[in-house]
Amino acid sequence: MQRSAQASADSKSAGEPEAASDPNRQRRRERLLQLGTLVLLLAVWEFAARDANKLLVAVPSDIAIATWELLLNGELFWATIDSMSTFVLGFVIASIIGIVVGFAMGTNRTVEVILDPYINALYAMPLVALIPILMLWVGIGFLAKITIIILFAVFPVIINTVTGVKNVDRHYLDIGKAFMASRFMVYRQIIAPYALPYVASGLRIALGRGIIAMIVAEFLTSISGLGGLIINYTNAFETAKAFAPVLVVALLANALTVLVQKVEERFGRWRRR
Amino acid sequence: MPKLSVRNLTKRFPVSGGPSMTALDGVDLDVEEGEFIAFVGPSGCGKTTLLRIIQGLETATSGEIRIDGKPVTGPGHDRGFVFQQYGLLPWLTAAQNIGFALEAKGIPPNRQGETTERVLATVGLKGFGDRFPHQLSGGMQQRVGIARALAIEPEIMLLDEPFGALDALTREILQNEMLGLTERMGKTILFVTHSVDEAVCLADRVVVMSPRPGRIREIVPIDIPRPRASLGEALRDTPEYVAKRHQLWNQLMDLV
Ligand SMILES: Nc1ncnc2c1ncn2[C@@H]1O[C@H](COP(=O)(O)OP(=O)(O)OP(=O)(O)O)[C@@H](O)[C@H]1O
Ligand SMILES: [Mg+2]
Repeated sequence: MQRSAQASADSKSAGEPEAASDPNRQRRRERLLQLGTLVLLLAVWEFAARDANKLLVAVPSDIAIATWELLLNGELFWATIDSMSTFVLGFVIASIIGIVVGFAMGTNRTVEVILDPYINALYAMPLVALIPILMLWVGIGFLAKITIIILFAVFPVIINTVTGVKNVDRHYLDIGKAFMASRFMVYRQIIAPYALPYVASGLRIALGRGIIAMIVAEFLTSISGLGGLIINYTNAFETAKAFAPVLVVALLANALTVLVQKVEERFGRWRRR
Repeated sequence: MPKLSVRNLTKRFPVSGGPSMTALDGVDLDVEEGEFIAFVGPSGCGKTTLLRIIQGLETATSGEIRIDGKPVTGPGHDRGFVFQQYGLLPWLTAAQNIGFALEAKGIPPNRQGETTERVLATVGLKGFGDRFPHQLSGGMQQRVGIARALAIEPEIMLLDEPFGALDALTREILQNEMLGLTERMGKTILFVTHSVDEAVCLADRVVVMSPRPGRIREIVPIDIPRPRASLGEALRDTPEYVAKRHQLWNQLMDLV
């Protein structure tokens, strides 16, 4: 018995090309390929820009040195703290508002009918256009930044939550009804878990838009944080130093996306892989 | 007084841009306490609709349902429903799915575990409480559905083609278990099936329904003595079984 199982497993892999027979080796090769491309890209950049005007173009080695300097003197660290504290607060508030409003709209037709046009219109419009007017109302400080982040991030959460809540399979609602689950139980144990993947993809979109909002807010309102560093060093023609916060923003955005994915997976254990 | 009585039950579904569709037309049925009723009939004859109305998942257009003489107005913990498909919440484990029904009945969490263990053991799933539905076979999922209905200790169990999606072997195993289970517990049971064998095996009376509009065509008593569970495979060789199976088969053939 064991032998025949072994044999069939072997014959399966024998049918595939050599490289695919060891998925680990395959993956290492792919990583190496990506790393090689990156090194090549950086080298080309380095040599092509070597003789360019240093005020306008920075080369990778200068950027690395500038990043190291900004790390050592703490500038990058404090700018990141500044940006992230604003961002995280804004994002959390946007998520909560988005989920609550989305739930209300998804479960109550009247609420949906009233809010739907505004939410769709605001989601579709370039919200940057509102920022100057917003600054009249909330100033240019912390509050302005939070408001802008919330404004950018909240709509995809609302829209995705509504979709998830409204899509709940009738079969699952019937289970709640048949066993006389309370309204709270139905929300918590049927609608919320069903809508979770929708909410999570809304959060992922919100994350991207929220980061953009954070940078835009730091450019346009009081200049501060990572966006502030970018503006200030660009204005001072210290182009290499301006690249350092750009790197940090890119890394943060990716790290946060992975984090949201991990949270989603944690709550989605029940799904068939 | 019958345990359950269905009086002149009619259900019409609205059809957009046309005359409404009559799923059930003047259905009358009395079910005694402890009786096992099987419903058979061609697809679309209203079996699911009838069960859903009795459970309170759907409202009748006219007519009435009474349990112990009291009119039924909605779902109740006196009835336990087993769904044909999608009957479990996929994000809850087997034990949590059962806990869901217990919580809905108002049983505090600290008293749910014991019941959950007991009903899982009853359906032969001891030790499977931690599994998510997708980690269980189709037959095991249906057992969890049955366990959940048992957990709330209903007076009437309603099962809508609980074994419909299973392979023949699993199906027969579950039929035999169902037989043993129901004969031990003596609950009142309404059981929808497409299978004449299943109906004859399990039921005290088989209700034959006809479609368009859904009506009761015939009620066939099955006089195979109980307990039948102990007969095992021999049950299917008894003259009464063979005769009733034949009779029902011909009746259904006339309908399609
Ligand atoms: N929600 C609904 N809206 C409109 N028509 C419906 C609805 N539910 C059922 N029907 C119709 O009512 C009739 C009876 O349906 P029902 O599901 O009760 O049949 P059934 O006997 O259970 O069939 P099957 O054996 O295929 O499960 C069918 O013609 C069906 O199309
Ligand atoms: Mg049906």
